[in-house]
Amino acid sequence: MKLKLTFIVFIVFVLQSKAQNDKYQINGSARSYLFANQLNIENSLDSITPKKSNYGHNLLDLGISVFPTKESEVIGIFRLRNELGGFWGGGVVFDVRQLTFNGVAAKVVKYSIGDIDLQMTKYTLFNNDEEGALNEADVFSLRRDVMHYDYFYKNNSWRMQGAKIEFNLLPSTNLEKIKFKGFITRQRSTDEQGRPERLFGGGNVKFIKSKNLFINLNTANLFDLKKTSLIDSSYLFNNVTSSDFNYVIKSDSSFKFNLSGEGGFSINKYENFDDLGSPISMNDWFYDISTTLNFTKKKLEFTIGFKDIGKDFSSPGAQTKRINFSKSSNIYQQFTNDYIGRTLTLSDIINGNSNNSVKISPELMAYNVVYNNTNPYGDATPNRRGIYFSFKDLDTGKVKGSHLDFRLLQESTGSGTLRKKVFILSQLGTRISLNEFFQLKKEFVFNLGYQNEITLRSGEDFEKIYLNSNFIDVGLSYELVNHFSLVAGHKLWKANGNEFQEVRDPYNSINDFENLSIDFTENITAFGVKYDFGNQNALTIQYQNFKIKDGGSNGVDYGISDLIILFNLKF
Amino acid sequence: MKINPIYILCFVFFSFISCRKEDSNSFDGPSLNDLNGPFNIISSLNLDEEVDFESGEEINFDVELSKNTLWEIEITGQTSGAIRTFSGTERIINSTNTAWLGGSNTFPSFQQEKAIVKMSFPNEENSPIIIDSVNIIGLKQDKGYVITDFENGTDENWSFFNQSGVNASINCNSDLSAKGSCFYKWEGTVSWDWAIGSFQINANEDGFGLPANAGNLFFNMATKFISNTGPDNCFILLWFDEDDNGDGSFNLETEDRYIYEYWYENDKWNLASIKYDDLKYDGDGQPVETNGNGLLEPSKLIGINVFFLANKDSGIKSEALVDHIIFTENEAYKP
Repeated sequence: MKLKLTFIVFIVFVLQSKAQNDKYQINGSARSYLFANQLNIENSLDSITPKKSNYGHNLLDLGISVFPTKESEVIGIFRLRNELGGFWGGGVVFDVRQLTFNGVAAKVVKYSIGDIDLQMTKYTLFNNDEEGALNEADVFSLRRDVMHYDYFYKNNSWRMQGAKIEFNLLPSTNLEKIKFKGFITRQRSTDEQGRPERLFGGGNVKFIKSKNLFINLNTANLFDLKKTSLIDSSYLFNNVTSSDFNYVIKSDSSFKFNLSGEGGFSINKYENFDDLGSPISMNDWFYDISTTLNFTKKKLEFTIGFKDIGKDFSSPGAQTKRINFSKSSNIYQQFTNDYIGRTLTLSDIINGNSNNSVKISPELMAYNVVYNNTNPYGDATPNRRGIYFSFKDLDTGKVKGSHLDFRLLQESTGSGTLRKKVFILSQLGTRISLNEFFQLKKEFVFNLGYQNEITLRSGEDFEKIYLNSNFIDVGLSYELVNHFSLVAGHKLWKANGNEFQEVRDPYNSINDFENLSIDFTENITAFGVKYDFGNQNALTIQYQNFKIKDGGSNGVDYGISDLIILFNLKF
Repeated sequence: MKINPIYILCFVFFSFISCRKEDSNSFDGPSLNDLNGPFNIISSLNLDEEVDFESGEEINFDVELSKNTLWEIEITGQTSGAIRTFSGTERIINSTNTAWLGGSNTFPSFQQEKAIVKMSFPNEENSPIIIDSVNIIGLKQDKGYVITDFENGTDENWSFFNQSGVNASINCNSDLSAKGSCFYKWEGTVSWDWAIGSFQINANEDGFGLPANAGNLFFNMATKFISNTGPDNCFILLWFDEDDNGDGSFNLETEDRYIYEYWYENDKWNLASIKYDDLKYDGDGQPVETNGNGLLEPSKLIGINVFFLANKDSGIKSEALVDHIIFTENEAYKP
């Protein structure tokens, strides 16, 4: 193994040193990721499942950027992956991870074709962060970053296949500039049996009046292409149209006051669906408006806003979840003597053992009410109305990245009853440089994140809800010698109460409620060492112990302990 | 005039807010009260002592429940054994979902008798069963063209055929009839032929007075097989003879005879019903060939032959009943 890694690193460095010139560049990443884990569960509950497993892989992503002309670029990333236990080609997978053509046409229109990253607003196209990270410690984020890298989850954008263009206009009117962006991507191919091809396209036009004011017009459309399948194929059309703006009302050297917001609507149409319960169309709309006070000198930013998202607002581009909570984890998928599916946990998500989204989903995906009940689909979560405010950038030098967020939302329309659920979400986080407090030369960092989420509904016994969920995310990182650190972290999720979770049909209409009784505790403790090569390149050896105590109706108490070796190198 | 952009933004924002539909009287998804709420009867059943359907009266089962849940009402004729059921899931039960006009689900029909009403709630544990009764003093009036209900005997225009050893006649026994008191019965053992017996109802010189449109006209007859029964053992063969040339008689060589076979379904009274227009197809769905003009013309119908056939090899007595032959428009007969 050591020999193999050394060889890969050597090849990469040789290629890098020789291969950077005007015509092409080579870059990429190499990784070795090994797990040795043990399922900890009482024998009376599970005497069937093998309790220990080892798995892992080595991989090399080799990226080649070729510049045929000054105004064009071809990017190809090729992945060579070898599963642990593969030998001389056994278990080796060779993939094309990315193929993109970039360029500028006529020195005006910038274009990309192939694998492209797309992001618009939080209500049109946005890849919301997954649950379970709040000022997360290095010991966890090192592994989470691997998952993000593999699925191209960066800057809340979605990786898609298609084409996009951008160009600017400099009008002679009062406007400073008009920016155009457009894209079209393929989400699904036809099966030629009644399931048509599905595309996702849209764009925006940004009117920039000055540096203090801009207005965007956005559109995102998920639609089936007629005539790509049988004549009577089903046909879905979803359109989200919105406008967002930012207006700096007052700004000087110590103070900045601005107003921003977004409003829009969605239109859903369904044709020729076999299910007689399919609606013909569902339309709704939303707005979100906020004002921000930024005390520039004091490095304090305060935001307060109000939002109202209709119950039928449907924006697949912004509501698709990264994690598919309806699928079991990839390890110990079924366990216990009754072969039940193991519910996805935070540990599975961090270790990349969850089923993750790579396509836009027109259906609202399953979620875990313990992890996120206020905004399971991000800011675009339908049927939410209320206020929110946040403080951030309380940066004193020793304390960094501090923030306090508070949301008080309720349903726009009651679900199952006229009484509406109320959601109170409080989050705070900080990163404290303890070395500055204790005047140490080596970096000593403490991370803290805390979240409390309360869901309430009053009324009769059959409709009452009280769910209290608390999440603590703490971590330490201490640099023993140059680049070599001790890392540790702990995550605790504790929830008690009850909830009536919506069960939706494929058209996102609620057709039932699952009566949940929740008494849940999840603990993850991890510690280890990290050697930092710089630029997010690290070798880490960690031990993690994870335990779940689930007193819910189908709950099982169990745990998993892992020994993890991760070597990650980007070049 | 220079307009501050903030005014435009405020205008757009408040336009949005003012357009938001405030639907405080509805909720999303199924009712939690219906799914999980307690069940009780807010307003119970209260029936009149008697009902005269003949004069147009109807019975409404006015009940109010605490939630939408499955309810079932079963009305049983104490003498006839006729059954009429209603079911639904509405919280309010009234004339919109349970108007009883005197009919039954199938034959036999209700008579002038006492009817027992039972109301239950199958999905609610420990829920009460409501029982009440009502006296039927007038029967519902049929809408259609009654060919015969056998209540007034046979007509001189009828003709009969019966195999040797077969007894066939009109019987009047209120406990056994499908409707009214009388029915027609064949009974006998025929070991040499499937044919048991038949009767031919011939129209008088004015015909049966049926409308001309075969597309919405239904033939209906109550049928009950009693002995030598089974899916492939017995059936009723019906001939519909049309006087295509209008000479007042039927000639098989030159005029249309349409045939319909009604095979055994079960040992109970059943409604044998077919849309007249469907007589142009045989049992396999193939178009039939006739010797006349090939047009389905119910207004020219002058003869209906009802023929009972049963398996000759079974070695047992064959027995069958028929009752209440009626044509209806737009839909099959509702007993």
